[in-house]
Amino acid sequence: MSARTCWSCGGEVAAGDPICPSCSKVQPAAPAGATLDKFDLLGVAPSFDEPAGLDEKFRSLYRMLRPDIFARASPRERRYSLEQTTLLNDAYKTVKDPVRRAEHLLALRGIKVDPKMSPEFLEQTLEDRERLLEAKMSGEPLEPMAKGVREQRDRTLAQVRELVENGGDLAQAAELLARMRYYARYLDEVEGRAVEL
Amino acid sequence: MPALLQISEPGESRAKEACATGAVGIDLGTTNSLIAIVLGDGKPHALAVDEGSTLLPSVVHYGEGGGPGSVVVGQAARRMATEFPRDTIVSVKRFMGRSSADPETRRLSPYRFAEGDSGVVRFVVDGARVVNPVEVSAEVLRALRTRAEDRLGIKVHQAVITVPAYFDDAQRQATKEAGRLAGLEVLRLLNEPTAAALAYGLDKRSQGTFAVYDLGGGTFDISILQLQQGVFEVKAVGGDSALGGDDFDRALAEILLEGQERTPRKVREAIDAAKRAKEDLTRVEVTEALGKRVTRAQLEAAIGPLIEKTGGPSRRALRDAGAPDGKGLDGVILVGGSTRVPAVRRYVRELFGMEPLADIDPDEVVALGAAVQADLLTSESPQHDVLLLDVAPLSLGLETMGGLVEKLILRNTTIPARATQEFTTFADGQAGMDIHVLQGERELVQDNRSLAKFTLAGIPPLPAGLARVAVTFQVDADGILSVTAREQLTGVSQTITVKPSHGLTDEEIERMLLASIEHAEEDVQARLLIDNRVEAQRILKAAEKQLDSNGDLLSADERRQIEAQMAAVRTAAQGSDHTAIHGEIEKLDRVSADFAKRVMDRGIERALKGHSVGEFDQGELSPHAKKAYEALRED
Repeated sequence: MSARTCWSCGGEVAAGDPICPSCSKVQPAAPAGATLDKFDLLGVAPSFDEPAGLDEKFRSLYRMLRPDIFARASPRERRYSLEQTTLLNDAYKTVKDPVRRAEHLLALRGIKVDPKMSPEFLEQTLEDRERLLEAKMSGEPLEPMAKGVREQRDRTLAQVRELVENGGDLAQAAELLARMRYYARYLDEVEGRAVEL
Repeated sequence: MPALLQISEPGESRAKEACATGAVGIDLGTTNSLIAIVLGDGKPHALAVDEGSTLLPSVVHYGEGGGPGSVVVGQAARRMATEFPRDTIVSVKRFMGRSSADPETRRLSPYRFAEGDSGVVRFVVDGARVVNPVEVSAEVLRALRTRAEDRLGIKVHQAVITVPAYFDDAQRQATKEAGRLAGLEVLRLLNEPTAAALAYGLDKRSQGTFAVYDLGGGTFDISILQLQQGVFEVKAVGGDSALGGDDFDRALAEILLEGQERTPRKVREAIDAAKRAKEDLTRVEVTEALGKRVTRAQLEAAIGPLIEKTGGPSRRALRDAGAPDGKGLDGVILVGGSTRVPAVRRYVRELFGMEPLADIDPDEVVALGAAVQADLLTSESPQHDVLLLDVAPLSLGLETMGGLVEKLILRNTTIPARATQEFTTFADGQAGMDIHVLQGERELVQDNRSLAKFTLAGIPPLPAGLARVAVTFQVDADGILSVTAREQLTGVSQTITVKPSHGLTDEEIERMLLASIEHAEEDVQARLLIDNRVEAQRILKAAEKQLDSNGDLLSADERRQIEAQMAAVRTAAQGSDHTAIHGEIEKLDRVSADFAKRVMDRGIERALKGHSVGEFDQGELSPHAKKAYEALRED
């Protein structure tokens, strides 16, 4: 990536740098796009597990860029601060969450997680949900079922890790990863999180 | 200059330096408002601004004449509320950012509402003046500002103003406008529970996961925060922006009013008596209100269902924060005057399974936290280095095919936040795309709050599905949303920033600003004249229509009387005396009240005979006539 020029002092700013090293002014955010490396943005190495020191990295960057310290700055700096912290929040949300993090890892390798499922898996989820509904109606305890799905989820994620870390079939990893949404929705429903408003 | 603060601390010179920035924290509450500032001791202090108290009742009285001295705020205004129930606006916060069609404006209250074109709530006060909630709130803020200036001996022009975490976009916008109108630069809108946590975290050095249960006069908020080493991270929020102590008062007032005639004055008296009784009953078991004996058990029976309404949002927020049923919670902080009610405390104890904390005055804690934030935002060397991470209280989305909502930003997303979604055209050569912005958690459009509607025009003619429109939502650090829509493919791009559809238009804000800066009497008079003329035309048209279709309900004499008064309204409307026009309109209302009732009865009769109620076309009636019907209906 190429360096940019600081809008304020004209000095050179490295592409990923949110602050100008010469005059300390906040810089505009990189244009949004699929190629943005959110690990890089946070200054951590890409990894399947949560990178060490993620929280601290995020907070120290946020501390530098947050809108609070630009409350009385020029409209331009306020805008850049808003852009930068918006990106930062999104990156942190992605890298903090195991599933989003894995998706992003794949995206960085050019693999998009496709929401299309194999018919067998779809059939399985439909069956699971039907059973859940029946159990809800009959007042049967839901926890054993939730436990089963939780175990499936953990197994699936372990498989994804295996594929990603040992140079396996990334397309297969993407397919497995897409299943995580179904597990999440199922567990939400067990916990009554869906629509209780 | 009145005596400076009634505190003495070492480092007086530091105090001057610290408050030289004049950045204050303001809790603009439903019932009471407070102003606080960080002084040289590094601590926030609430200022005594109303008859020796730090609590300024959020009550604004509009007196005769409309001159600068005719507006009274605070205790003094509260005392006038009974005598002038319609000219004294209490709990205006409940109307902030609400449209006149909102159920909130239809609750038990003594006010007279005018109908505005943009659907914003407007109160008719002092006979003919029309004010909106933003203007009323600005009076409260202005009073806080000027009284704080007297107290401190410096100018105050920057403020952090708190809002309920559960305030939606329109309510936040309205609050910000009120600040601007009161001559304040609003540095930040801060969520009330977050402000409270800030005060607690710094004062008590609390660490861990906390729930802030904030039940104020008109709003309920629940926030789950994680506090550690100067980082305040909001995990989840929830609430009800129309639930609070006011509802307790109204519930009790309903009991006091049983079997009584309901005039605006009676209603005001009953609500005030209920409020006093409620306060008494935090200490004693039995009290008296309007000559009736009221017991704590009675009060608790009346408000029990209201208190229980806080349970749902609380449980949901706990789950959202990953602390179901209060598991892993280190404490519950009580905020807001309504948490003094013993039944509320009992409920909180049960709900969270622990004794709640109330070490810092629940009335002051929010303003104190706001002052800390104001200091952080303005000082070269703030007293505390704090990192605040707050969230969007409600999901934000767009209407898609079939009346469904597509969510772009989910509730409890850390702000600032941004999301983009692409849409394509569905017809060949489609030149425009309707964009409907919604806030809420439900699936169907109709169940969510409509924030804005606009059409992206100028899409180049292309076959269906080829034009691509990217809609981007950006939520800033105040929790305020802006939406832009851009046609992608052709490079012809168009950017539109939306204002909430039931908020105030730019012109209205401009008009209010001008009016407040210049306070030009002529301007006000001119506006009143126009408003009253429009009102006169409206009521005349309605009356004519009713005479046409229901004239048979009148005797010749009655008809003559109404027609004579209509002529009087017509004549007055040609003149330039707005009070005269208003007077004649009122008279017409009076002489036609009986007629109105008969028309109403006929309508009901028809409805009972199987016609639909819709056939009785109330929509055609003037607001005055409608009020008359509503009053009759209540009897």
